[in-house]
Amino acid sequence: MLTLENVHIYYGHIHAVKGISFEVRKGEITTLIGANGAGKSTTLKAICGIVHPRQGAIYLNGQPVHRLPPHKLVSQGIGYVPEGRRVFPVLTVDENLEMGAYHRTDADGIAQDKARMYELFPALKGRERQLAGSLSGGEQQMLAIARALMSRPQILVMDEPSLGLAPMLVQHVFEIIAELNRQGITILLSEQNARAALKIAHHGVVLETGRIRFMDTAEALRENPVVQHAYLGIA
Amino acid sequence: MTKTVILIQTIVGGLGIGSIYALVALGYSMVYRSMGLVNFAHGSIYMIGTYFGIIFYRGMVAGIHLPYWAAFIVGVLLTAILGVLLERLFRPLANLDLMLMLLGTIGVGIMLDNLAIIVWGAEGFAVRSPLPSKPILVGGVSLLPQMLLVIGVGTLLMVGLQTFLSRTKVGKAMRAAAQDREIASAMGIPVNFTNAITFAIGSGLASAAGILAAPIVYVNPSMSAAVGIKGFASAILGGLGSIPGAIVGGLSFGVIEAISAGFISSAYTKGIAFIIMVLVLMVKPSGIVGETTVEKV
Repeated sequence: MLTLENVHIYYGHIHAVKGISFEVRKGEITTLIGANGAGKSTTLKAICGIVHPRQGAIYLNGQPVHRLPPHKLVSQGIGYVPEGRRVFPVLTVDENLEMGAYHRTDADGIAQDKARMYELFPALKGRERQLAGSLSGGEQQMLAIARALMSRPQILVMDEPSLGLAPMLVQHVFEIIAELNRQGITILLSEQNARAALKIAHHGVVLETGRIRFMDTAEALRENPVVQHAYLGIA
Repeated sequence: MTKTVILIQTIVGGLGIGSIYALVALGYSMVYRSMGLVNFAHGSIYMIGTYFGIIFYRGMVAGIHLPYWAAFIVGVLLTAILGVLLERLFRPLANLDLMLMLLGTIGVGIMLDNLAIIVWGAEGFAVRSPLPSKPILVGGVSLLPQMLLVIGVGTLLMVGLQTFLSRTKVGKAMRAAAQDREIASAMGIPVNFTNAITFAIGSGLASAAGILAAPIVYVNPSMSAAVGIKGFASAILGGLGSIPGAIVGGLSFGVIEAISAGFISSAYTKGIAFIIMVLVLMVKPSGIVGETTVEKV
């Protein structure tokens, strides 16, 4: 459903992503793993239109989308959960959810989806009027995911959702991701926590300094001795 | 007249002038927080905005004489449109080096000032108040009707702005974009559109301030510098980028000015107001209200 073709991304003179091609299949969880600086976040930002590739193309359902500004991509079905959560701190929880649904005009549907989010994320319930900046890290992560879901995305692009969370919460976040996927949402997940990511993913892409090192089913990657050694901590 | 009566009268006068500063300060702060742009052309927008309304009130355009309230609405709308055009012009400057921003916006300000001189002349004129010029006496305190109008309409506009920002979808999106531009855009908010609205509202408020003040002050092209700098000082005093800060800063600046003029010396009014601003900033560099910080609950 989402295809990257020979994508090159630069920050000024820095060649951050050096010609990567991969595909995210409909209904699957695809994970991008790699160390800090491997180009994971940059790749996701390009998919969401925040940065634009200098070369190469990105297709969503066969349509080229790599020249569109970010706000147009939301209505095309891309939902973004940014690294570091980045909820709007001085907006209430409720207002953050409304902002996720900015492009929608169906007031009834938005109200229903909001109610559904409070069910899906009980941690947010009763905090509708609280400022998002006053939530704990875990709660902010839930809000960031809920905010992205409010746009009714076809594909959820998640950038290191487990970063900076307590181990118990990390597990909870991965359970939520798996659950969302079971409900039919396609997911592209970037993670440093390769072990947890490969456990729930169908396919994986291993990035190293802007290039693809391996690309396979999650199962095959878990068995790959190089991946085991470098990313799964198995000697 | 007792001392208390004089004090009350002075404070009301200060709140009147302070409302003008607050409305102008809002434009600086709204644009700064959403675009990261310090718009030094804002004083000139205030001046042009005053003319945009008053020329219809005084019948300076094709002999059209509008009542004060209608001229007010026309002026505010025209200035809001000017704001949208200026946003487009300033867009490349946002988030650039402060020096470039300074030069760019000051340059546009000078152009607007000189355009005003070419079109309307440098001399200026006094404007007749639509309300009776006879003061109203309330418990010994005499209040100028136009001053009450300034305070009343100013309050309405500020409450209206807060309501717009906290209740409407576009208002919320403007706050979201001010907090995190990149993410707001990735959530589907067209940030250039919200910036244009921000500029339109900021410019419209400045125009409203100028048209309200016109019957009290003297209207001429050099009014841009005087009120521009005080509006900016008010925004800084309250905390640049904060909306309640702009209101608190503007009202405080007006009251401080009035009290120092009434009780100390009218010659040192400006000096005293700016000295107090500097003292406040030395104690609290983020301004009276300052950046909105969030407490963990």
